[in-house]
Amino acid sequence: MVLEVKKACKNFGGLAAVSDVSFSIQKGEIFGLIGPNGAGKTTMFNLITSMFPLSSGEVIFKEENINGLKPNKITEKGICRTFQNIRLFPLMTAEENVMVGVHCRSKSGVLSSVFRTKSQRKEEEHIRSRATELLEFVGLKDFAEVSAENLAYGQQRRLEIARAMASDPNLLLLDEPAAGMNETETDDLFQLIKKIQSRGVTVLLIEHDMPLVMKLCDRIAVLNFGKKIAEGTPTEIQNNPQVIEAYLGSEEEEEYA
Amino acid sequence: MLIEQLINGLTLGSIYAIVALGFTLVFGVLGIINMAHGEIFMFGAFIGVMITSIFDAPLWVAFAAAILVTAILGYFLENFALRPLRSKQGVSHLAPLISTIGVSIFLENLSHHMFGAGNRPFEAPFAEINFQIGSITVYLVQIVIFVISILLMVALSFWLGKTKAGKALRATAENLETASLLGVDTKRIITMTVIIASAMGGIAGILVGMAFNSVNPQMGLSMGLKGLAIIILGGMGNVRGAMAGGLILGLAETFVVVYGDSGYKDAIAFLAIIVILLIRPQGLFGKKITT
Amino acid sequence: MLAEFINPYYLQIGCFVLINIILALSVFVPLSTGQLSLASAGFMGLGAYTSALLTIHFELPIIVGVIAGTLIAGLFGILIGVPTLRLQGVYLAIVTLGFGEVIRVVFVNWESLTKGSVGISGIPHIGREILKTFKEFGFNPQSLGLQNNQFIFLSIFFLLLVITVFLVWFFRRQSRSRVGRAYAAINLDEKAAESMGINITYYKVLAFTQGALLAGFAGSLYAHVLAYISPADFSYHRAVDILVFTIFGGSEVIWGPIFGAIFLTFLPEVLRFISEYRYMIYGLMIIILMAVRPQGLIDVTIINWIKSKVSKRGVKHGSRSEKSM
Repeated sequence: MVLEVKKACKNFGGLAAVSDVSFSIQKGEIFGLIGPNGAGKTTMFNLITSMFPLSSGEVIFKEENINGLKPNKITEKGICRTFQNIRLFPLMTAEENVMVGVHCRSKSGVLSSVFRTKSQRKEEEHIRSRATELLEFVGLKDFAEVSAENLAYGQQRRLEIARAMASDPNLLLLDEPAAGMNETETDDLFQLIKKIQSRGVTVLLIEHDMPLVMKLCDRIAVLNFGKKIAEGTPTEIQNNPQVIEAYLGSEEEEEYA
Repeated sequence: MLIEQLINGLTLGSIYAIVALGFTLVFGVLGIINMAHGEIFMFGAFIGVMITSIFDAPLWVAFAAAILVTAILGYFLENFALRPLRSKQGVSHLAPLISTIGVSIFLENLSHHMFGAGNRPFEAPFAEINFQIGSITVYLVQIVIFVISILLMVALSFWLGKTKAGKALRATAENLETASLLGVDTKRIITMTVIIASAMGGIAGILVGMAFNSVNPQMGLSMGLKGLAIIILGGMGNVRGAMAGGLILGLAETFVVVYGDSGYKDAIAFLAIIVILLIRPQGLFGKKITT
Repeated sequence: MLAEFINPYYLQIGCFVLINIILALSVFVPLSTGQLSLASAGFMGLGAYTSALLTIHFELPIIVGVIAGTLIAGLFGILIGVPTLRLQGVYLAIVTLGFGEVIRVVFVNWESLTKGSVGISGIPHIGREILKTFKEFGFNPQSLGLQNNQFIFLSIFFLLLVITVFLVWFFRRQSRSRVGRAYAAINLDEKAAESMGINITYYKVLAFTQGALLAGFAGSLYAHVLAYISPADFSYHRAVDILVFTIFGGSEVIWGPIFGAIFLTFLPEVLRFISEYRYMIYGLMIIILMAVRPQGLIDVTIINWIKSKVSKRGVKHGSRSEKSM
């Protein structure tokens, strides 16, 4: 078990964004989190990564309760994420963005950086080669020197994945990675996520592109109005009457075809 | 003796509250700290001096002139220092803050050139009138200041709570985009807010002139700092917090002068900021910040 | 002959330029993590008074005073930074503004120690100390054809030049490292930086404290270059001066504040009539810059343009092809 969410609740004011949601993710699987807009999926991500504190419940990562840790500590423990509304560092180059991702796996301080000690130079070399390797991994090798804001939309999404991968996560959280991508790009993304899985990284995925989710995920949990209404394999989910109801009852119906 | 100090403290505090309200209104609606508010206040004070001493005009004319001039300053502030930044994409959140610092430096030094760098006496026509109640001396000036401040606060509360424009302002403060979708002319509301806040600064300027009988260009900075301390004390963007915070600071300063070292009077505001930030960062009257 | 070219007046302006560069860096470094500090004048004053009092009352060597002044300023930097950083950015600006004012109020009122608004005079002078040391070793400036006065200012200038070049080198290297990337990431998107595993509290306090140390250091040097300090030297106007160096010059690359400090220190000297209206011009400049060019005059684009011009002319620029930051 990599991640275990137990009875997670989050209230904003009087509004319950997430209530009583539990699920667990096995090592090495791709787990999908789906549901209509406003179902609480991204809130769930923010709870797992400690961007918001839980109102009640627990998040257990690798047998350890990670409630109340700071977001940077969570990343250090091995959970890293991407954002629904891409949050790259716009003025940095693609390479620098990925290099920032290596931050929590490196340790040079001010003095070793300024005086370029031997270990610092070695580390910096390692960071750079790690960045190069990851840029190649997501297919952005030729864009290393381009600043993030000048990349195309689909490239930015892939760069975000590379940046998250740079922190060597055990669990990677992807928030709508296929949003705004065309068919070819989505196919590439499918391959990419499969490759990530084959590297031994567990993936938790929020996605609206149903064909992609059904093709990609080993198991899926469905949220609606902050509650979990179903969990199972893609086939089980597709035939679950509650899920169909939730989607048909909302504006997302065309995406479920 | 104690009661006299209490009255002094309340008089001072009510002026502070008016200054702080100017900060709070702008912060509430625009989410920025208007660093030029102290200097606009100081301009109001100087206009008061000019009108009463040079033209020998009655006090109400001074008030009208100060309100007019500071309102115009507010209009310029919004049009030249704030609006150009709002329409631009990707501007750092520090840009409006720095821009208002620019306005404050400009105004302070403009007043050096216009009014001179030193102290100017401010003579309220009834400065010497006082009443003896038992052993307590109360000056008419104090009563006038206190009454004007309270009236202003009541009027502002009424306006915000009961009138259409006030409600539109509160809606804008709550959420600018939603308010604009609901048909509120947010551009007009913002301009109006900055103008009203500035005019309140102008009124406070004359009140300070009456209270201390003198004004100088440096008072903008120290009063601005106190106003900022008060809104941190009372909670950012909180109208009632600004009023209560002003009174608390006024009383605290008065008692430090009486029982402590008057030289450190101006340090109290800063001390209050630090203490509040350490123990109750949302301010005395602010809601707990949830992120 | 050499002597004719060395005008102590110009050297003194040169010294101010160098001190101002250090001060500009003291705003630039915290700003490179998105923190606006208005306390540079306060930290500068802390450094200056600490060093001046220690060297006068305890007859400590200047270098000990300067180090102590720098560290005291840094300590206050931590004390101010830690409680403030938990909150939104605007709080920091307010607190630092207030802090600067309080420091000044304390200098004015603590008369037994600071001599109040009269200020402290007779502070040991770096140049004269250097001259004394040289003379002890049997060196006489006349042997270079220099008067004592010229030697004094020349030695200060070169000392400050070495220090400033070192500091610029230091912070340029820092900005091209893991620490610099963390700073830049925090500046560009705090939340994203935090989710990438960067301890934002640590780095923000670090940057703020570095700023305080720089200002304290510059202040200590200032005291021993002028040999006289008073609370007026560390007023709000000084804070504005320092802020304008960076805002005007540019806050994206380290060359911005350096350019700002040099240009704006010379400007009032060259154009005398300007100095009377200096702060009005500064005020207008800030307003216009924020509306038109919020990143300041010198930005990454300009630096890259200059670099491309330089490399086109075939000047070998070393084998490194690092980026402008």
